[in-house]
Amino acid sequence: MTRQSKDPNGTLMMSRRGILLGGATLFAGSIAASLCPTLSLAAVDAGMQGQFMKLSNLLIQHQLSPAVGARIAEGATAQYKNLPQMLEAIITIAEKNKATQVEDFFADIPEGELKDFALWVIAAWYSGSSSDKRDATVFTYEEALTFKTTSDILTIPSYGISGPNLWTRPNLPLSAPMPTF
Amino acid sequence: MVTKTSADVVIVGTGVVGVVIAEQLLDAGHSVLMIEAGPRVSRAEVVENWRNAPLGVKGDTSVAYPSRPWAPHPMGNEKGDEAYLQLSGPDSYAQTFIRYAGGSTWHWAGTSWRLTPEDMRLKSLYGVGRDWAFDYDTLEPYYVRTENKLGICGPSDPALQWPRVARSAPYPMPHLPFSPGEERFTEIARTLGYNNIPVAQARNSGMPYDGRPACCANNNCVPVCPVAAKYDAETALHRLEKKGATILVDSVVYKVETNAQNKIEAVHFYDQHKETHRIDGKLFVLACNGLENPKLLLMSKDDRNPNGVANSSDQVGRNMMDHPQLTLTVTTKEPFWSGIGPVVNSGIMETSQGSFRSEHAGAYFRYNNFARNRFVTFAALKKGLVGKALDEEIRRMTACTADIVAAHEVLPDPNNRLTLSDKTDWLGLPKPHIHYDVGEYTRKSAEVYSLPIGKRIAEAMGATDVKISPKFNQSKHIMGGTIMGNDASNSVVDADCRAHDHENLFIPGGGAMASTACGNSTITMVALAIKAGDAIVDQMRGA
Repeated sequence: MTRQSKDPNGTLMMSRRGILLGGATLFAGSIAASLCPTLSLAAVDAGMQGQFMKLSNLLIQHQLSPAVGARIAEGATAQYKNLPQMLEAIITIAEKNKATQVEDFFADIPEGELKDFALWVIAAWYSGSSSDKRDATVFTYEEALTFKTTSDILTIPSYGISGPNLWTRPNLPLSAPMPTF
Repeated sequence: MVTKTSADVVIVGTGVVGVVIAEQLLDAGHSVLMIEAGPRVSRAEVVENWRNAPLGVKGDTSVAYPSRPWAPHPMGNEKGDEAYLQLSGPDSYAQTFIRYAGGSTWHWAGTSWRLTPEDMRLKSLYGVGRDWAFDYDTLEPYYVRTENKLGICGPSDPALQWPRVARSAPYPMPHLPFSPGEERFTEIARTLGYNNIPVAQARNSGMPYDGRPACCANNNCVPVCPVAAKYDAETALHRLEKKGATILVDSVVYKVETNAQNKIEAVHFYDQHKETHRIDGKLFVLACNGLENPKLLLMSKDDRNPNGVANSSDQVGRNMMDHPQLTLTVTTKEPFWSGIGPVVNSGIMETSQGSFRSEHAGAYFRYNNFARNRFVTFAALKKGLVGKALDEEIRRMTACTADIVAAHEVLPDPNNRLTLSDKTDWLGLPKPHIHYDVGEYTRKSAEVYSLPIGKRIAEAMGATDVKISPKFNQSKHIMGGTIMGNDASNSVVDADCRAHDHENLFIPGGGAMASTACGNSTITMVALAIKAGDAIVDQMRGA
């Protein structure tokens, strides 16, 4: 039989509702994750997740979302068989250096598997993806740290930060302060 | 097989060409049925597809538009036999287009450069290519109607307009403001004697238009404007339905049927369950642009039309054209901060014109205004930096790298040809095969003209590094394939995009264009569609 098109508004309304419901769920999930990382969406052992966030906070001195961290930890669990040992090893190096920032201990991480893993964790937070390939797992788009480094001047594409025709402004010099994030 | 009498006019394709013609016919009181191969989706779905794509592939527009099995279109991850487009030749005719309701304006940039009078007379003026079947003055009123239909903004100052000939009416909206990086690029271009002017673009400037909101610089025109401030044909579909159009989706037309008088009698299509259907009508419009139209015509060969429908000239599928482009990725000391405002907002057009066109192609230069995070983040990460050094490197590379694109014209060459591949798709229909060579005319331009200009611009920008595309990339501006002309022996359609061979078949759009010039083709496709629409209304009236 010949089919007529569906009015997309019905679909759109459903989608909006779905998005709203989904957003509410995600928001609740984020709040729960913020308050208690063990309740995060990822099916990762709570101790492992805590270790992962501990390592992440040693490697990156910015505010890190536990909800995003839970997703990255889940990806790391799938990708790295000896994840617990690697987390422990790098955290031990940092603690031995009494590190308060990544620069205090990163050079002491041995080249090879451990260093590669540390760089993977950093890349995951900054790119929001498990790799630069098409089949990469996406951990986040909006919260990828790359966008935080330019948030004072650039929008995250698809999100507007100015009003109609209101983007004329002086250019920022490179010496302008890095946004706080 | 289900046979159904449908409507006065059957339009195959729901992209911008089909949509503007449909509205003309509906407004003139005719019934219209539109047939779309692909699905109809919500804007929210497309936006979420894109946001959920990995950062490293966000430059591939196809990630936002996964093709359906029955309506394949090029996907960035498909290679070789698996790919929809089967390609051969010295250059790759690797296009992207979308078989979705609304068509490929979903992911166009909105750039709307008109042709110049000279662009339409290449043979007469420069001894190359083809002349159009009519002149610029004939086309100009249709450009004005296009600009009003789509909502194209542009400068009111004649010195900033393109082409530099008098307009018969102003743009419906003022041009969009430049970003700081574009302002700086414009200053630099001026020191070399070039004028970087505001692009006319189908984007709402400072005000709502046609029920759509003003642009708020989401910097995501490609692959989708999340708020529909940029015109795309999807935004018109609901209005067409309110006016009485019937739109069939997931319906793949595979045959155009002729009758004993060699008029078009019906079209046949598959649904997504591989069931066949037949739709008849009084008049037919093929609005599937330069690849799907010739493919469909070639698939439809019959005893009366052994080379394919509308193909007594043997020109269907020949003269495939585009705007081959070369990109200069520059690294500068000075920050330009691409990514503020729409993704394409200006251009240098005067370099597309000149007496040199008897020897080689012209080129148009643009400053790509995409935010650079997606392009530089992995490169910064691969440097092994951490902490403050990593933050600063990402910020520096985002601010201090930019893409300058040189888009060239090509000449119509019958050897650049679409044929039917022996590879088939999910429905068992042949995939298009395209043999393509940009030609010496374009290659010489790159060697002696466009790249030297591009390098001078890069130098003036203070570039410390310049990386140039190793080969021509395609602009996704599909032209040729059903070329227009007054001589039925060497062209497919007449000056109204009516098939020479079939009086009730119209094939408007980029396929009809007899020259490419250097600017994006959509505005000219739509102008041709409106001109065809007028002819169809007259023909239906019996004039």
